[in-house]
Amino acid sequence: MAETGPVFETDDPELAPERLIERFGRDIYRDFDIDDPTLNEHFHEAIDFMVQKCPVAHSKVGTGYTVFSKEETIRRIGQDWQTFSSAKGYIPNRPADQPMMIPVEQDPPDHTAWRRALNPHMSPQVMAKVRPDVLREVNSLIDSFIDKGECEFISEMAAQLPGRAFFIYVLGVPVDDLATLVRNVDLSLFGPMETRAKYHKEVYDYLEVFMKDRAASPPQGDIIDTILKGVTYGDGSEAPWDHKVSVVLDLTYGGISTTIYALGSIARHLAEHPEQRRQLIDNPDWIENSVEEFVRAYSPVVAMGRSCTRDVEVEGVQLKEGDFIMLGYSAAGRDPRSIANPKELNFAEPTIHHATFGVGPHRCIGSHLARMEMAAFIEVWLKRIPDFRLKPGMEPVYETGFLRAMSSLYLEW
Amino acid sequence: MRLKIDEVLCSGHGRCWKYAPDVFPIDDDGFNLLRGSIIEIPADQEEAATKGMKACPERAITMID
Repeated sequence: MAETGPVFETDDPELAPERLIERFGRDIYRDFDIDDPTLNEHFHEAIDFMVQKCPVAHSKVGTGYTVFSKEETIRRIGQDWQTFSSAKGYIPNRPADQPMMIPVEQDPPDHTAWRRALNPHMSPQVMAKVRPDVLREVNSLIDSFIDKGECEFISEMAAQLPGRAFFIYVLGVPVDDLATLVRNVDLSLFGPMETRAKYHKEVYDYLEVFMKDRAASPPQGDIIDTILKGVTYGDGSEAPWDHKVSVVLDLTYGGISTTIYALGSIARHLAEHPEQRRQLIDNPDWIENSVEEFVRAYSPVVAMGRSCTRDVEVEGVQLKEGDFIMLGYSAAGRDPRSIANPKELNFAEPTIHHATFGVGPHRCIGSHLARMEMAAFIEVWLKRIPDFRLKPGMEPVYETGFLRAMSSLYLEW
Repeated sequence: MRLKIDEVLCSGHGRCWKYAPDVFPIDDDGFNLLRGSIIEIPADQEEAATKGMKACPERAITMID
């Protein structure tokens, strides 16, 4: 853990410990905690403060970590995988017995081997072919509740669409199993700490059975067959079976919660900004720009971690080999150094000042699927439900860890 | 206008292609097909190319002149 002395020397009264505790419920400058419920309560205020006033913050939780929030810094770190490794995991204080997620918790060349094999299945061209199916799914989900004049958006739309798009059309998982799978993923991420491992294992076990079935079935030429075929690692060894299951697990985790939150954030923003709804209805060619703006301002990934492979100085902070750092993607999209009015969304111009899909070799492999899903959702929803609002008295409910999540969002029209 | 597309920094975000598909073709992996090269931009494509360049989350596309 980096020594914390000199960087805290500041005359800024806003950074005084008691002032931070009063405002955010915690000293987020000297002892940030990504899992503290106070971060959930003050989320946007806290990350906006961090990126503006303390873009290098520290945590004393467990073995401790340093949090970076500037967009420029995050780009530099994300691209420098040689110095900032993913191979020791992306969450802080990772339990030692938790198996690594493949390939997100690998470095090149092993990571590269998997990405070369997987990328062709997740490319923009492939997602363009899946788009008509996704448009149909959005329509059929809206059919199921439009006549009620209201919905609980997360359970009735947001939690349904990514599962359908990804599992049915990309992975080919039976639709009947979706609800349980999505629920178990959610409980393993946001459920009570003591049962998270249990639900994580249930998801793993389900996917392992699915993979065994597929291994015993005739090949379909899809992404699962590519994963079953495996890759050769840098040392000449073949990727073992548990790594293959882990790849499917990684894709599953990457594709569900994140997109649910993105869709929920889009729906909430549009519910509260009728003038911006009108912009997208009048200018449908702005929808793809709007997706970039939504993910910039409301990043589903709060922060992802790296471990330093050597002593290195970043923004005047001396990091030592083995130190854990976090890249604050949520804050980076709201960096006033990169964008003039970070809290305002501008749909007219593509302002890709975000690190929401990651930067460097670990760029989100599902980014093309996610972008397509979001754009398809906005297009269909605004055609069918152009005017809608938050249901009075029903405040949206959020959860925060290394991911940001929305557990309920009541809308009416 | 000439643009340089960095071979290593391109990570397959596909944003250059989205905003300027005629300037920045992509391969089957979704990566810029012309990465590692310097390309001459026709006058009528300069606006689209600039948009595509600015849209790169890696800042892998830079203007030479």
